Amino acid sequence: MSQDAKVLIIDDDEDFRISMRTLLESKNYQVAEADSGKQGLEKIKTEKPDVILLDIMMETMDEGYLLNQLIKFQKQYEDFRDIPVFMVSSIQEDPLSRFPKAAGNVDMITPDHYFSKPVDIPKFLETLEKVLQDKKS
Amino acid sequence: MITNQTVRPYIIVIDDDQVMRLSCLKILKKEGYEVATFVDGVEGLENIYQRKPDLVVVDLKMPRLSGMEVISRVHAIDPDICIVVITGYATIGTAVDAMKNGAYDFLPKPFTPDELRLIVRRGLERRMFAKKTAELKKEKQQMQRRFVTFVSHQLQSPLAAVKQYLEVLNFLPDTPDKQAVQKEWIDRSLARISELLELISDWLTISKIESGQLTECTGDANLVKIFNDLKTTFQPECDKKNIFLNISIPEHLPPVPAREDCLRVLFNNLIHNSIKYNKTGGSVQVQAEEKENSIEVLVKDSGIGIPDDKIDLIFEDFYRVKSENTKKIPGTGLGLPICKKIVEELGGAIEVDSKLNVGTAFRINLPKGRGEKGA
Repeated sequence: MSQDAKVLIIDDDEDFRISMRTLLESKNYQVAEADSGKQGLEKIKTEKPDVILLDIMMETMDEGYLLNQLIKFQKQYEDFRDIPVFMVSSIQEDPLSRFPKAAGNVDMITPDHYFSKPVDIPKFLETLEKVLQDKKS
Repeated sequence: MITNQTVRPYIIVIDDDQVMRLSCLKILKKEGYEVATFVDGVEGLENIYQRKPDLVVVDLKMPRLSGMEVISRVHAIDPDICIVVITGYATIGTAVDAMKNGAYDFLPKPFTPDELRLIVRRGLERRMFAKKTAELKKEKQQMQRRFVTFVSHQLQSPLAAVKQYLEVLNFLPDTPDKQAVQKEWIDRSLARISELLELISDWLTISKIESGQLTECTGDANLVKIFNDLKTTFQPECDKKNIFLNISIPEHLPPVPAREDCLRVLFNNLIHNSIKYNKTGGSVQVQAEEKENSIEVLVKDSGIGIPDDKIDLIFEDFYRVKSENTKKIPGTGLGLPICKKIVEELGGAIEVDSKLNVGTAFRINLPKGRGEKGA
């Protein structure tokens, strides 16, 4: 039995949120959802998740990247900076390749973890558990 | 940044003759250019490598490295740098050789300040033009790359969502909980697959429009028949949603010079939209009228309407208005772009008038067939 850590899923694809919620709840995680980047930022403050699962391409192509940027750099999210971010995307690509110039010429920062959709379940759960354990210690 | 017009062009002069260097420097500086001079090709090339000037004025006959050699090496550094050759022993032969090696133009000594000014100005214009062209090309390539990424994302998302459902189902132990979600997930997966099929079909329609296959004119199409068929198609859906569908087309409406399947796609999309984005108890009205030079069709609904600030975007590929109302309505974001492309290819016009929460009306003008003089 796992811990009751909370995962916030920020993704505009309802089906992805549903399947991931069911998966995570079956492993006794708590789950919160947001269907847009804007809602995601609100939920980060209200839900105080332990881990964030963040989709890259939502309303705009790079919304996920920008969100990650905000969380990691903006002063108002200072308290949430250390929450590990798992970035997900259905585009099969090397995530590092698009960071340098993703949105205009803003330097992007590498996500803590990257998974392509559909998420490899055993690998995802294993990484999640490890990240949470590292966080505790 | 470098191409910014306010940035001063940078010109270098390479000549072993001091008088020539100084006079070029004086003339060109007066024109407002940033100018540097070098006594031979070796020094000149080093600066070209480091600073990539916009234009190089080079003497052909110099010690160490000849002007001809400088020319061929400059373009290895940057093929867009403009080279003007000057020389004291101007012959047609050396001029041709220099141009063959990539020089832009040739200036025989002695030359007047005006001759130098003119040739430099023309060379710089060419350089700026080449730069701009290269930039536009790069921008276009970037847009194409982004577009490919975007389309791939649209195609992969439904498949990824379905596969994720299946993988989670596979992973979950057999419990009543799993049984409970299974049915719902199958329905949701089917919906995503339909969405994908629709997207591919729309995508193919667009490619058929772009290749001219769908919009070529092979004869006249009868709108009365098309709308009768569409009424039969959409009536059951309207009954189910309690939407009043009224299609009134004058019996003697002249035909439209277009393929029938093309017009079917057009009006199918428009009527489908007005049903899809309607309210229970709402209405869809389709009217057609013969005008002096065209046939005007009005597709009007009492649906959810389009927000004012989004109205310019609805004909863009893949654009969909995102709101609480539209969230649950599936769509590819290609329906209206298809309509616009078709109407424009046929030489007609499409206009939209919409009020949020009141309804939307599309007015389509199509050319009239059979000997009528078009506008």
